[in-house]
Amino acid sequence: MEDSMRPPGMRDMLPDDMERFRRIEGAFRTACLGWGYREVRTPTIERLHLFTAAGTLSPQMLERVYSFLDWDGWSGERVVLRPDSTIPVARLYVENLKDPEVAKLFYVQNVLRFSEGDDSREDWQCGAEIIGDTFPVGDLELILMTCEVLERLGLTPEIKLSDPGILRSVFSRSGYNQAEQLSVYDRLLDGEAGVLSEVIARLPEASSAAAELLAMEGDGPAFLANLGSVLEPGIPDVAPVISELATIADVLDGIGHTPKIAPALVRNFEYYTGPVFHLFVEGTKVAGGGRYDALISQVGGQSVPASGFALEIEPLASLLSEREFGAEPAIAIRSAGKNGTDVGAVFTLARALRDAGVSVQLAGSEEGPSREVLASSDGFSLTSDDGKARRLNRVEEVVRAVSDAGYD
Amino acid sequence: MIKIALPAGDLRIPVAGLLESAGLPIEGYGEGSRSYRLAARDNGALTVRVFREKDIPVQVALGNYDVGVCSLAWVKEMHARFPNQPIVPLIDLGIGKSSVFAASAEVACQNLVDLGTLPIVRIASEFPNLAELFARSARLRRYRVQAVWGAAEAYPPEDADCVVTAVSEPSILASHGLRPLHEVLHNSAWLIGNAKALAARDLSPVVGQFISTSARGTSANGLQLPPPIQATVAEPTSTAERETLRLAIPDGHQQRHVVEALRVAGLTFDGYGDGEAVRRPTSGIDGLDVKVIRPHDMPQLVATGEFDLAITGRDCLLEHRYAFPSSPATELVDLQRGQYNLSAVVSEALPATTIDEALQLWRAEGKLLLRVAAEFPATADHYARSRHFWRYQVIPIAGASEGFVPEDADLLIEGTETGKTIAENRLKVIDQIYRSTTCLIGHRAPKLSGRRRGVYDDLLRALQPT
Repeated sequence: MEDSMRPPGMRDMLPDDMERFRRIEGAFRTACLGWGYREVRTPTIERLHLFTAAGTLSPQMLERVYSFLDWDGWSGERVVLRPDSTIPVARLYVENLKDPEVAKLFYVQNVLRFSEGDDSREDWQCGAEIIGDTFPVGDLELILMTCEVLERLGLTPEIKLSDPGILRSVFSRSGYNQAEQLSVYDRLLDGEAGVLSEVIARLPEASSAAAELLAMEGDGPAFLANLGSVLEPGIPDVAPVISELATIADVLDGIGHTPKIAPALVRNFEYYTGPVFHLFVEGTKVAGGGRYDALISQVGGQSVPASGFALEIEPLASLLSEREFGAEPAIAIRSAGKNGTDVGAVFTLARALRDAGVSVQLAGSEEGPSREVLASSDGFSLTSDDGKARRLNRVEEVVRAVSDAGYD
Repeated sequence: MIKIALPAGDLRIPVAGLLESAGLPIEGYGEGSRSYRLAARDNGALTVRVFREKDIPVQVALGNYDVGVCSLAWVKEMHARFPNQPIVPLIDLGIGKSSVFAASAEVACQNLVDLGTLPIVRIASEFPNLAELFARSARLRRYRVQAVWGAAEAYPPEDADCVVTAVSEPSILASHGLRPLHEVLHNSAWLIGNAKALAARDLSPVVGQFISTSARGTSANGLQLPPPIQATVAEPTSTAERETLRLAIPDGHQQRHVVEALRVAGLTFDGYGDGEAVRRPTSGIDGLDVKVIRPHDMPQLVATGEFDLAITGRDCLLEHRYAFPSSPATELVDLQRGQYNLSAVVSEALPATTIDEALQLWRAEGKLLLRVAAEFPATADHYARSRHFWRYQVIPIAGASEGFVPEDADLLIEGTETGKTIAENRLKVIDQIYRSTTCLIGHRAPKLSGRRRGVYDDLLRALQPT
């Protein structure tokens, strides 16, 4: 590592990586455009106060942000390399797109956050946001769109649903203030055993089964019904949260995408205000999203509901097969000699083939496809897949022969 | 060989006492000493170097020194920005006690919640990274940090809403009209160590001696960060244009030059003369407010509009401009006093007479990384880029600069006048970067009218060299 010119945590994307990247991006763009979303891109550098004012990035997350004083930052106010895309898209909406009642936006861009050692500090995401119309159609649309992207890539997604409102209701009923709720939640995320039992113990009216069910994962509407029956008698505030989640689970169940319900699974507790969903493929989390109704007003807009999700490109790419990679050019063109007229014949033919939509390889053709044309000022020799060569005098004849053979 | 970094300044005497009682007497370290490289009296295995306190965590983190003694606040200041630096606080030495407070003007804020209502919070601090951490933890919605070289307490209320500063007791804040809002750190001097050195090498002859003989302090080394402030931000109010012109004048070594320049211009400010400087001298000119601050901090305050004019060194202005090239702070009048050269300085032993020769030599030696020590890091960075250094590291230093080359830096960007100090430290000038003098600076395009315009024009006229 010390000897590399590459800074720690930064990745080179090699040709195979880029092919996977473009495949994911292509599937994502096709799905988004098909569901009526439009593409945007936000700047790499944003003002720090966009993120501090939003109040949705925790101090721990802000400590991982790359912030600096820009060349005109003499006032002492910092800018950041984009650590998150949803907040900048919210800003973009507030500053540019307030007129439409509903904005459906998608983006493919990177986020930069410090990580220890050589863990990735730059992550590429495909994300989509719907602003103005969320429950239940917008939330469901996002989930199904994410599923479509994964299915287009030949992957089978597993959906996990949750809602931070469940834990918030429980914590709040247990008498924790906002700061204590965050602390308890951090302990839960750290995998500390017994945290939920400790919380439920503060609620004499709640059943001890509550801690058990909160820690479990279950199947769709059936598990939600069980959860409701255990929690609602002692924690009435949880009823509307479970009802909302049940609406989404019912629809997904009805169209054959029965979700898992994971009550304690919310990665960014402060960010989301409603149903959240995670998508897994073969046990790897590849996408996550949910409702963040407070965000638009926090960045200076009206109070407008919003939902979004992001696909993480790197874990997703690692799941893709290599079957479509390394597509070779259809035909190699070599020069019979090194004089200007022979080399000129190569390029005359190459342009004509490219105009006809045939992929060609000139430089490096020694290791190229077996079918090839040897070009000279006197004419062309075309060698086919079967190794047979034939003589052709004019460029048009070569183009016709290549097209007839189905090379492209 | 164990390398120790010891502090210059106020900590010298108590630290010298501790070393003596720990059985590690250091020849020439103590009252009145100005030496930078020292040796232990009875222990040839120790190398000792004296630094400004602020530089010690940097030197220990770089691994140039195995252990050091400095205020915990400077360790925390470094960790706040670079949490992975390999520094370990080892023992609280129980000396140099103070507290780092966030405080605001008594007239402005009663508590943290009041601070949270401001649309943008201006924080002045000698500890800019701790100030950032404080602001993030309090979840201030919008803030900007003015990194100052000293005297942060002088900024509120007109030039800052809040300071993060160290004082030996809270009553000092009150004497400056400030109210403590939150105590960020119980500060005292600590023995610190480089984590890699501690993991791999026997430092017990030093660490063990300190631990067995030091009068220990509280050993609490954690920052106490504020909880999120639950406050509603007030709507920004449009502020009326100031009615007076504001002029900043320096304390420190530039003061005598400025007093003289003002005298020649026919200006005398009550409370600002040879050997005296109150914070807010009386100008005696209707419509002119004068304030004494550190010269380093003036260009930023002119750029942000806090001051209309300031008298500072060209070195401070250029440092600011190298960091922020489009800043509107600009030189208006060269007062032609306090002259010195800013130079590139190397070891006398280096067989080169120009910077190009030196670069060739270093390249031929296979030196992969050039270490450039400088009190003006943006200037040093600009210099290294303009001279096509291949790979370099700028080590910001707070002072005691002559001792850095050759052990801890290859090149020093340093002010030189007669060349005597340089020669005494076996150094030589290899390149002259620019000549610095005292200047009047102001905004490139000042928006002034009425009485303020008149006072501005009068001052510029009076300060023009005859």
